[in-house]
Amino acid sequence: MKTQNRFHKSTLIKSAVTLLTALSLSVCLTACGGSQTDAGDNSQTPSPSGAVSSVAPEEGLLRTAVLYDITTLDVAKTTDDYMVPMNIFDRLFETRMVDGTAQVLKSLCEDYSISEDGMRYDFVLKSGVVFSNGSALTASDVKYSFERLLTAAAQNTDIPLEVVGADALMKKEADSLAGFEVTDDTHFSITLKAPNAGFLAELSSPAMSIVDAETMAQVKGFGTDPADTIGTGPYIITEWEANDHYTLVYNDKYWGPEPSVKKLIVRVIPDPSTQNLMFQNGELDMIDLINLDSAIVESSYKKTHADKIVTTPRVGLTYLVMNEENEYLRDVNVRKAIGMAIDVDTIIQNLYSGDAIRECGIIPTGIWGHNDSLAGFSYDPEGAKKLLSDAGYVKGQIYFELSMDSSATSDTQLLYQDISQELGKIGINAEVKTYDHASWLALRNSGRMDSFIARWGMDYNDPSNIMYTFFGSRDNARGRSINYQDSETIARVAAAPSIVDDQKRMAEYQALEKKIILDDAAWIPLLEELHLYCMGDRVESFIPQWAGFSDFYAADVTLK
Amino acid sequence: MRQSFLRRLAESVVILIGVALLIFIMLRVVPGNPIEIMMGEHANQSTVDRMTAELGLDKPIYVQFFRYITGALRGDFGTSYSLGKPVSSLMRSAFGNTLKLSVSAAVFAWVIGILCGVLSAVRAGGPADHIFMGFSLMGVSMPVFMTAMVLQFFFGYYLHWLPISGSGSWRNFILPAIALGWNSAGAISRLTRSTLLDVLQEDYIETARAKGLTETTVVLFHALRNTMLPVVTMMAIQFSGMLSGAVITETVFSINGIGRLSVLAISGRDIPLLQGTVLFSTAVVILGNLISDSLYSVLDPRIRREA
Amino acid sequence: MNRDKLLQLMRENKVAVLSALVILLFVLAAVFAPFLTPYDPKEMDILHRLSGPDAAHLLGTDEGGRDILTRMLYGARVSLLAGVLPTLMSMLLGTALGLLSGFAGGVVDEIIMRIADVMLAFPSTLLAMLIVYTIGGGLTGVFLTLALVNWAGVARVVRAETLRLRGSVFVTAARSIGVPQTRIALRHILPGCIPTMIVLFTLGVPSAILTESSLSFLGLGIQPPATSWGLMINQGRQYLYTAPWCSFAPCVAIMLIVLAFNFLGDGLRDALDPHLESK
Repeated sequence: MKTQNRFHKSTLIKSAVTLLTALSLSVCLTACGGSQTDAGDNSQTPSPSGAVSSVAPEEGLLRTAVLYDITTLDVAKTTDDYMVPMNIFDRLFETRMVDGTAQVLKSLCEDYSISEDGMRYDFVLKSGVVFSNGSALTASDVKYSFERLLTAAAQNTDIPLEVVGADALMKKEADSLAGFEVTDDTHFSITLKAPNAGFLAELSSPAMSIVDAETMAQVKGFGTDPADTIGTGPYIITEWEANDHYTLVYNDKYWGPEPSVKKLIVRVIPDPSTQNLMFQNGELDMIDLINLDSAIVESSYKKTHADKIVTTPRVGLTYLVMNEENEYLRDVNVRKAIGMAIDVDTIIQNLYSGDAIRECGIIPTGIWGHNDSLAGFSYDPEGAKKLLSDAGYVKGQIYFELSMDSSATSDTQLLYQDISQELGKIGINAEVKTYDHASWLALRNSGRMDSFIARWGMDYNDPSNIMYTFFGSRDNARGRSINYQDSETIARVAAAPSIVDDQKRMAEYQALEKKIILDDAAWIPLLEELHLYCMGDRVESFIPQWAGFSDFYAADVTLK
Repeated sequence: MRQSFLRRLAESVVILIGVALLIFIMLRVVPGNPIEIMMGEHANQSTVDRMTAELGLDKPIYVQFFRYITGALRGDFGTSYSLGKPVSSLMRSAFGNTLKLSVSAAVFAWVIGILCGVLSAVRAGGPADHIFMGFSLMGVSMPVFMTAMVLQFFFGYYLHWLPISGSGSWRNFILPAIALGWNSAGAISRLTRSTLLDVLQEDYIETARAKGLTETTVVLFHALRNTMLPVVTMMAIQFSGMLSGAVITETVFSINGIGRLSVLAISGRDIPLLQGTVLFSTAVVILGNLISDSLYSVLDPRIRREA
Repeated sequence: MNRDKLLQLMRENKVAVLSALVILLFVLAAVFAPFLTPYDPKEMDILHRLSGPDAAHLLGTDEGGRDILTRMLYGARVSLLAGVLPTLMSMLLGTALGLLSGFAGGVVDEIIMRIADVMLAFPSTLLAMLIVYTIGGGLTGVFLTLALVNWAGVARVVRAETLRLRGSVFVTAARSIGVPQTRIALRHILPGCIPTMIVLFTLGVPSAILTESSLSFLGLGIQPPATSWGLMINQGRQYLYTAPWCSFAPCVAIMLIVLAFNFLGDGLRDALDPHLESK
């Protein structure tokens, strides 16, 4: 091979120098840019969006982004993708934020009454409501919506299963829901198997969206084809390009007040850093800051957009699970020592930049039945060490795995590593191991995961949602790798929803909470994150969904 | 020549079937139930079981493979778990974006690459050579995600000149095209430079120079023509590589293309989607190789590829 | 090769020598990491998150308050190993199969080469993603993946080299005096392939390092709390605008090491003059 074929050697060196110079230059620019942001204090920089898109966004348009695309528009097929159902369907009730508190409000329901024993509910349906294709809303549509959840291979069967005759319908032994009686087009009644004081709250969950029986009989693409997915809500979905974006526009047949947002485009941007850049570049009107590390929010957003940040509790609990089938974690002393070794307040201040609330019990802040006066574990590493040595353990003897889901947010990943380190300080070897999302789920559901940190978001405003999921049956406790052993407590958790008297029911839940957390140290509640959103220059105000879901009612956004 | 082309074509089909079988088996030995992921955190076991049965995932693997292959022959690649839509329609819309990205990146790479290569060859050793080769070296040694990040930062965040992500208009494709094309431009310019330097040593170039032709004419009309052979082959291979999905570029710039679909399919254990994208990408690469081989023999009839 | 000739080669190839020195420096830093820094790479300090470079932390701290220089040094272990070990593995596998294929011919050759064709037909990042998905991420997963991704290319080149050498005079001679086949393969043909293999190895390392960084960048490669340069860039990416030092150092390190290996590979190719087409 001829030498000319290669570079001259001096060329190589000079090229390398050129290259490194160019690189340092670009990095300097990067650094300058960073400090410029810091120095930008509160002055609102003129919107750069004009420069970028060359056409200003149209009037009434809201542009926002999500990390993952939805899989379906149909609530019978998902427990996660609620953004579209919340906006294109209505429910009998809605839980909305009114003056800072979550309230269950009547929506398609005009009026209702509940029998003495709490078993029978009589409803009056709002009259004159039509679906976006013009078909009228009747009581039989509501009945159909309940039955559909039970008969189609569906998610979200828990709530309709409370109705008398639901099991028979689900097993195809009956062809209609016996406990659901339709009197006329606007009157119907529902009879429950057992009293449930939280039933109206449950009816407000997105799962209980009302669909049109007549339309459903005609269309094929309900849930996948926007044109076939018809509801009574303030918006209709016009476009859904998978993995790219979907578009909602105002439904001019909507029965309620006309919202400020006339058109909503939700882009799928799987990467928080890109979302961050897009917002800064004026390509988004609103950004969900929960996906960004709180340190970034602290050092940039809180400085440049202080008065544009909307904060709401993310009603839900970040918790640490300890599997009682693990040879060390089965010992209550070990579990209590772990509870005492974690400095939650310091974590909140530094990992979450203060944007979280310390939680001591199972029922999180913002949920009916939350116990403010419950004293949790207090941070006491010396006490924890003593507890362990009194129980006969030597330093380094206790070993278990802290299993981390690789798709967890960066805040959560740091939380894992910090907690592992704090446990190390009291002589417990809790090793962080990372699994991809699928393997993590499989291991957890098998009931054999030693320990993990996760967050439970509330589906509806009632303690039974979280209590039942984790402690309501042996299977539930196993599926979350808790393997809680006390059958008596499990039976009490399962029975609690049927206590009709609200005061008594709350007292029972709080007693159970004390037993599970303080006596048994069956899991360790850590904190409730605050959910921060930042509004762009075109947005006047925004009320997040009550539970701090990333999904929200577009009608709760007001544009300038 | 036709016979050898047909032979290669037959080989390609066999390879493609091999690939399909390999992917199918690989995806099914992985532990973890894809349905559980699809259903999400709040799903209960009975629903998971019902969905598993509905999608036929409880059937023996050979039954599943048979179903898949017969479906694929009819153009039906199943329904994506994570996006709930037919894989074929997802790939069709994603391929449009990937095509736009690849064409713009290839144009950038070819124009810049050949220009830099030629200019540095004729000015070998001079300052222009250093600058252009430094630029090329940067392209080949910088990971694509780094280039992408710097471009996004500088032209999007800092100067507000160009959009940071998306695929709505042609402006969206400028930065991704540079990020993706720079690497190829580097490789092309290095190859162009070294080949051209070799060619410029040939006797017939000396003859042309002796005839009193200007250096520009010599380079453009005599030398460059003979330089293009290996360069064009490289271009064909690069282009099929881009078409098969620029995983990282599409991810960083949030372009809904084949590469990003693959990433999504992997993280969501979306078996039908993953099968579809991998099979498609592989087919593109195989086709690209086939074309580049044929180009080679068309452009240079002297070459007889070893059997 | 005698000593004078080596010295002369080194004089002619200053860039390659410089590159070798850079590589050596990185290797030494990785090996002696614990002696070069007082910090533990996993030790979090949440009171000092994302603090800029100063006397205590020369390259600043990352999102967990960990010293970036320390993580660079320990990350070098993973990144360099990810370059070298899988490349060695794929060299071994590829050489063995290439030798077998070229020497045995017939059905064996056909089978091995068709499998290699299948492997080469995959786009490389996608193939790596697919394998890592199947065998799982983490250190072992990534290493195995990189080894499995690259063997086919090696096998092809070694097979071609074997075919060339098999037709050479000394092999024909050896065969005519009745030297056994395996002996011919191992004693006569294999040594002939060595220059090719050295160059392939040197050029394989940077590509493995880049693939590892891409995988880790996509979140499929090395998993925290372990770290590598690619993972550091990925994790630092969020902070590019508020704390650019997080991904700056690993970016420069990857570029330097990739450049160094490429230069060294070019130099070795010149020096050893193996029968390789320059790409």
